[in-house]
Amino acid sequence: MTDPDHDLELALARLRPRAPAPAVSAALARELDAPSARRGVILAWAAGLTAAAAALVCGLFLGAAPVDETPAYQLVRAEQSPANIEVLRPIRLDDGSFARPVRVRWDNTTQWEDPRTRTRFINYRPNEATALLPLETY
Amino acid sequence: MPDAHADQDWRAWFAEHGARLRLIARQWTRSEADADDVVQEAFVRFWKHQRHLPGDPNALVVTSIRRAALDLLRRTDRRGVREQAVAADTETVAWFEPEADPRLQALARSLPLLPPEQREVVVLKVWGGLTFDQVGGQLEISPNTAASRWRYAMEALRKLITARAHD
Repeated sequence: MTDPDHDLELALARLRPRAPAPAVSAALARELDAPSARRGVILAWAAGLTAAAAALVCGLFLGAAPVDETPAYQLVRAEQSPANIEVLRPIRLDDGSFARPVRVRWDNTTQWEDPRTRTRFINYRPNEATALLPLETY
Repeated sequence: MPDAHADQDWRAWFAEHGARLRLIARQWTRSEADADDVVQEAFVRFWKHQRHLPGDPNALVVTSIRRAALDLLRRTDRRGVREQAVAADTETVAWFEPEADPRLQALARSLPLLPPEQREVVVLKVWGGLTFDQVGGQLEISPNTAASRWRYAMEALRKLITARAHD
């Protein structure tokens, strides 16, 4: 005799949940794929600061003018991802009118480079904005 | 589940399990977008810090998802009332891929109609691969209560499917 709960469980297990949005994989790649590169940037920063401190100390002790080792970053690349627009179900507002919520997500990425040390600094900024589009009803 | 303890590529692991992790996250979030955010945050935490821990990786990643979801709920509770109302009212996307089998279609449409406390037990058992002991541990209820909610859920699902068959 078959267990009806077990049959139902097997049927449930055949359902295929929807995969996460592609943006999730892209974000995971940013988080999980390049830890060593990010560490390299931090090390380069630390190395630059150490060199600047050493130059300053040498300058003070030897009476020479300190060498300017402050990183001088220049913008080398700016990117904006395509906007991911979610048009959501209309809602009724407190004043009785209707509006459709719209959520927009996009990323801004800028890359800065110090040409002397070839150190690169990446500024990644995800953005999200939600707005209500008024709907006219007749 | 493949061995997450080994030095496996996260892409392969996520490709195989991302969808069911998202369904689990969806049980404790207000929208599809929130579920994606929770999966992302929980998976990064799991992969970077927890996958080498002893124990069942399945239970570890579910714990990570639940913690991230509860954190997000606490954060969003501080937002405006209108935004909460919008988020609660904007569910437009199905949880499952389309199915040709009418019985599976009915099941896919019926599952979201279960009471949340029954639905989370079903999702954790079927797609989380957890035992009633583990489900109880996740939800802070006894294994007997988890099993009882499972039985109620199965009964409710049977009724919902039968009702849909007669529609």
